[in-house]
Amino acid sequence: MREKATTLYLGPQHPGITGNMMVRLKVEGDTIVGATTEVGYLHRAFEKLQEKRNWLQSFTLMCRFCVPETDPMEESYARAVEAIEGREVPERAKYIRVMVLELARLASFMLWYGGQNGSLGLYTMGQWSVGDRNYILDLFEELTGGRVYHMYIWPGGVRRDLPQGFEKRVLKTMDYLEKRLDDYDDLMFDNAIFKKRTQGVGIVNKEKAIEHGVVGPVLRGCGIRSDIRIDDPYEVYDKLDFEVPTAEGSDIWARALVRRQEARQSIRIIRQVIDMMPGGEFYNKVPNPQKWTLPKGDAYVRTESVRGEIGMYIASDGGTNPRRVHLRGAAYVHAITLLEDVLIGENIADVSAIMNSLGTCPPEIER
Amino acid sequence: MINDKNTQKLVDVIQNWARKHSIWVLAYGTGCGAIEIPPTMTSRYDAERLGVRGAATPRQADVLLITGYLTTKTLKRVIRVYEQMQDPKYVIGFGSCTINGGMYYDSYNTIKVLDKYLPVDVYINGCMPRPEAVLAGFGKLQELIAAGKADGAKKYKENLDWYRENQKRIIPNWVMPDYNW
Amino acid sequence: MQELKQKLTANIKAAYPEIKEKDYPGNRLDFTVDKQYLVSILTYLKESLGYIHLSHIACVDWLEEGEFEVIFILWSPEEKLKVFLRVRVDRENPVMPNVDMIWRQANTYEREMREMFGIQFEGLEAPEEFVLEDWQGPPPMRRDFDTESYANETFFHRPGREDALDVREEIIKRSREEIPDFAKKYSR
Repeated sequence: MREKATTLYLGPQHPGITGNMMVRLKVEGDTIVGATTEVGYLHRAFEKLQEKRNWLQSFTLMCRFCVPETDPMEESYARAVEAIEGREVPERAKYIRVMVLELARLASFMLWYGGQNGSLGLYTMGQWSVGDRNYILDLFEELTGGRVYHMYIWPGGVRRDLPQGFEKRVLKTMDYLEKRLDDYDDLMFDNAIFKKRTQGVGIVNKEKAIEHGVVGPVLRGCGIRSDIRIDDPYEVYDKLDFEVPTAEGSDIWARALVRRQEARQSIRIIRQVIDMMPGGEFYNKVPNPQKWTLPKGDAYVRTESVRGEIGMYIASDGGTNPRRVHLRGAAYVHAITLLEDVLIGENIADVSAIMNSLGTCPPEIER
Repeated sequence: MINDKNTQKLVDVIQNWARKHSIWVLAYGTGCGAIEIPPTMTSRYDAERLGVRGAATPRQADVLLITGYLTTKTLKRVIRVYEQMQDPKYVIGFGSCTINGGMYYDSYNTIKVLDKYLPVDVYINGCMPRPEAVLAGFGKLQELIAAGKADGAKKYKENLDWYRENQKRIIPNWVMPDYNW
Repeated sequence: MQELKQKLTANIKAAYPEIKEKDYPGNRLDFTVDKQYLVSILTYLKESLGYIHLSHIACVDWLEEGEFEVIFILWSPEEKLKVFLRVRVDRENPVMPNVDMIWRQANTYEREMREMFGIQFEGLEAPEEFVLEDWQGPPPMRRDFDTESYANETFFHRPGREDALDVREEIIKRSREEIPDFAKKYSR
């Protein structure tokens, strides 16, 4: 007797991803034969709100686009505004910006460890890594005043200088975290349950990757070596020495291996930056930010975040308010058309793990 | 002898003492504020020593934690979840977006004042509130339960028509059952 | 960098003579094309010239000129150049060709533009609603839709301080203290 396909509604709340999204699955037995995604639970209409706010006020909206990792959005806004106006940034500010970006990347990795394992049912990892993430948030609180929303990177530099003795505290935290990454290896990557549940699941092969426009760790998990920090370098990344890891296999296990290596490279970059930090100015002052106008033009800048490539397009018409600010996160490309393609043929129990591994972050998709 | 006032008061005191030390929060993050809930529940700002832990379904939860802004699409689902929860139930409004709309005060998709659509017991303000502020909010809820004043559910049942009229004003496609308490 | 840009411009102009180009410092190059050549020039760039990555599709509403401007941004991993393709569409009756079959992710961008700006794409097969549910007003991202007046009519607001007192004066009155001289220069 042949079964008919039934529809199963999964969502809006998933274990492991930060945000709400609905996936409608058509299943026959335990195998998925079709999937439709639905977003819109977190839509705040950012781009409409920016029509009424001037350049200073819309900077405060920038960091709330993506909640786990908030600094790349501010940095792309700052770089795009500087590109339109032609404003120079002092050297010390560029090094401080790179340090803040890499610290945010490490904090987001810690949250990813908890999420990926939580969606498979291994809850101990979340307790360890979210507890260690608090040490990085303490550093942010000392530097900028807030744990989650920083509002620190501003067109022209950064808003205030490093406190006294800050570099020593950062290096101490990095030593502690490097030892903890070895502990996570024992718990997560040598774990037979994790290996069995993630090898051969959620495969994105090379042709599909290029056809869907995939970016970030998903592309590096297919064996293609592509990273914005090397292809199109910004700030001072062309002076630093680090590796870009790749892995073969294109399943969840390969992407987890790529992210494991990237966390170590982040620690390496932070140590180099603190070594090479020059003295000098940290801010190229904007005269009277309340009445600041930019010349007519547009710019498009790209940043590498934990999930992939973030593109920010800003158009200005010569006034005090921006004409159009359009940010596109990596999840916009992965979580709608690619997810509907990858889910066909998988089991229901693996849906959450696949969504987390592709880097789904719904606040970024619907802004 | 069972029905006189002193016994009733004694039973109330014991019942409230037991309820305030075991608050189960529904694991549903509805907005931005869901990023400060994992630090509150894990080892540094441990919330489990107060008896607060996560619950999987609405039928097993006591508290609905509205973390941040609510869009009209999510409000429709949250109302259904709230009506599925069993008595006694409480609602905590988290962040300044539930108080007066916060940063998105002129957005066409978010609601501004949560109190007109669901009865709120405790507000925690901040953007984001720190984990210590969250624990202070739970402490205030415990005080209200011990004094017998946390009666959002009773207010909802008595004024159901007023809440329904406000909810139907912004949700055009009402497909949920009209309960008759 | 400059020879690569000149080679690309020569290639494109040989195939499509009416294109206007503009050069920018760095690795950016702009082309303004007409709507009818859009699909063929995108296919030519992807298949023959190596621009295999579609990075972004953006739309700007120029209300004063009565047009929408749609911008396609492409990237080539070997030559490391960014190419902007600009298309102008009439605002009263906006119709654009569908580029779904070249890159699959263009489906999401086009759904959003259809919902937010009202641009129709010929041949796009996707569900109607993307982000908004049961929305009965005009397309929200157009510049003639006022979001603040819509929010004031539809939602309740918490009544605030209607009298808008000066905070500094009030605190002085309540605490009966004088503000020191070095703080006085920070008043508005």
